[in-house]
Amino acid sequence: MAAFEAFLDDGGIVEVDDDMPAEYRQAVFAFIEMHANSELMGGLTERDWIPRTPGLRHKMSVLAKTQDEIGHGHLLYMVAADMQIKTREEMLEDLFAGKSRFHNVFHYQAVTWGDQVAIAFLVDAAALASQQAVFKNCSYGPYRRILKRIISEEGFHMRLGEDRMMRIAQGTDTQKEIFQGALDRWFWPALQLFGPDSKPDDVLLRWHIKSERNEVLRDKWVQKFVPMLQSYGFTVPAPDLSYDEEAGKWDVGPIDWEPLKRTLAQGGPDSARRINEAKDNWERTRWVRDAMDRAAAVPA
Amino acid sequence: MTVDVTPAVREFLLAIADDKHLMGQQHAEWIGVTPFLEEDLAFCSIGQDELGHAALLYELLAGDDDAAIDSLAYDRGADEYRSCHLVELATDDWTVAFARHWLFDTADQHRWTLVSQSTVPELRDVAARVEREERFHRMHADNMLDVLLADATARDRFVTAVAALAPLTQGLFEPVPGEAEAVATGVAAGPFAAEWDAFVETIEARIGAVDWGSAPSQAQRTQRSNDWQALMARMREVIDLDLSATW
Ligand SMILES: [Fe+2]
Ligand SMILES: [Fe+2]
Repeated sequence: MAAFEAFLDDGGIVEVDDDMPAEYRQAVFAFIEMHANSELMGGLTERDWIPRTPGLRHKMSVLAKTQDEIGHGHLLYMVAADMQIKTREEMLEDLFAGKSRFHNVFHYQAVTWGDQVAIAFLVDAAALASQQAVFKNCSYGPYRRILKRIISEEGFHMRLGEDRMMRIAQGTDTQKEIFQGALDRWFWPALQLFGPDSKPDDVLLRWHIKSERNEVLRDKWVQKFVPMLQSYGFTVPAPDLSYDEEAGKWDVGPIDWEPLKRTLAQGGPDSARRINEAKDNWERTRWVRDAMDRAAAVPA
Repeated sequence: MTVDVTPAVREFLLAIADDKHLMGQQHAEWIGVTPFLEEDLAFCSIGQDELGHAALLYELLAGDDDAAIDSLAYDRGADEYRSCHLVELATDDWTVAFARHWLFDTADQHRWTLVSQSTVPELRDVAARVEREERFHRMHADNMLDVLLADATARDRFVTAVAALAPLTQGLFEPVPGEAEAVATGVAAGPFAAEWDAFVETIEARIGAVDWGSAPSQAQRTQRSNDWQALMARMREVIDLDLSATW
C-alpha cells in the first residue's frame, strides 16, 4: 500500500486493468456507484415536474437537462461496472431494494415548480463544485475522463437554473413567493450535499479521489450563493446568518446534520416513495429486460 | 417566419402540430421509468424531437416568439385543438406507450411525405428537417421491435397493446375540413386517409393481421377524448398559477 500511495502522491493515474489494492478498488467503486445512483435519482426527482413545464421550448430544454442526468448515470454505471465488483443490473437492484446510497437532496420531493428551478440552480451548482474538485486531481483515470464530460454539461444546467431564477426574480409576486418557498425547502439540503467536515484520515483525500475537503467546498458555495440570492431579493433561510466584515465572509451558523443522517439511512422525507416507485416500475418492466437477455443469448 | 395561409390550411397544419405536440408531451412522461436506461434516453430524446417539430409548425403559424408559440400550444379552447385521440390517451403502461410510438411514427412518415413537395416552401423545409430526425425514431422502434417480436411472451404483450390502440389509430388519419383545400392548393399532395392502406400494410407485415375495430368519434378532430381534460390541466398547472408570469 505504501508504494501504491507514493505512486498516487506522485500524480499516478490508475486504469481499470492496472493492479490496485482491494481497498482502493472498493472505495473508488463505492464513490462512483453513489454518483451514478445520484444522477439517476436526480432525474427521477425532476421527472415529476417535466410534463408540467410551462412552455413548449422550455419543456424541451428541461427534458434535455434530465436526459443529461440519466445519461450521466448511464456512463457512470458503465465505469463502475468495469471495476468488476457489481454489474449494472446488481447496482440497480441494490438501489431499488433500498440498499445503496444516493445524494441526500434526492430523498426530498420537488413539491412546486419553484423546487424544480431551485434544484437546477442550487443543487446542480453544489454537485458541480464537488465534481470539479474530484476531477481536478482524480487518481482513477476512467472516472476522471467521464467527469470531464459531466462537468461541462452540469455547467449548462446551472446556467439554465440561473436564467430561470432570474426570470422569477424579475417576475410577479406569485413567482417570487413560489421560489422563496422552494429556497426555504432546498437551501439546507443543497448545502448539506457537501457533507460534514472531512475527517483527517479520509481515504478519499489520501488516495486522490477528492482533492478538497468538504468544509472548504461548502464554504465556497455559501460565499457565492448567499449574496447572490440576496441580490435577487430572496431571503436566505438561515436564522443565524451573519457577515464578518473583517474577513468579508458569510456564516450560515450551526448546521444541523440530522436530516442528512436520516437520508443516509433511507429515512428522508421522500425516500420511501422514491425508492418504492422506482422498484415497482423496475419490476413491472422486468419482462422487457428478460426478453432482451434472451435475445442476446441467441447466437446471431 | 410565418406563412400566409388560409384559415382552412391553417387548420390542416394545426392537426399535424397538435398531434406532434401531444405525442411529445406523452413521451415526456417516460423519462426514468422505461425498462432500462438506454430506453429512458431514447424516449426522452424522441419526446424532445416531437415537441420541437410541433414548435416548428406553431412557429409557421404564430411567428418565432416563445410567447406566441406557447399561446398557440396552451391557450386554445378544447374545441380549437385538432389532435387525434390516440395522442391524448393517458397510459401508465410502457408497452402501450411504446406501441403508440411505433404506430404514430410509422403513420407520421406518410403524413410528412404528403407535404414534402408542398407549394408552401417553409413547410417543405420543415418536412425535410423533421424527416432527418424521424428516421432515427423509426430505427429505434424497429430495433426494439426486433427484440420484442422474437420472444413469445414479449410478442404477446406487444401485439395486445397494438390491438388495444388499433381503433384510436384510425383517428390519426381523420382529416380536418381544411384538408380538402390543402390538397386542392397543393399544400399537401393528397389526403392523409389515402395513405391508410399503405400504413396498414407496413404494420401488418411486421405483426400479422390486426383487427382495427371502429374509429373513434372525433368529429373531424374538433371533439376531445375523455383523457383530454386531465392532460391539459397537467400541461397548464404551472401556467395557471399566474397568467401574467413568464417562467
Ligand atoms: Fe448530472
Ligand atoms: Fe445537472
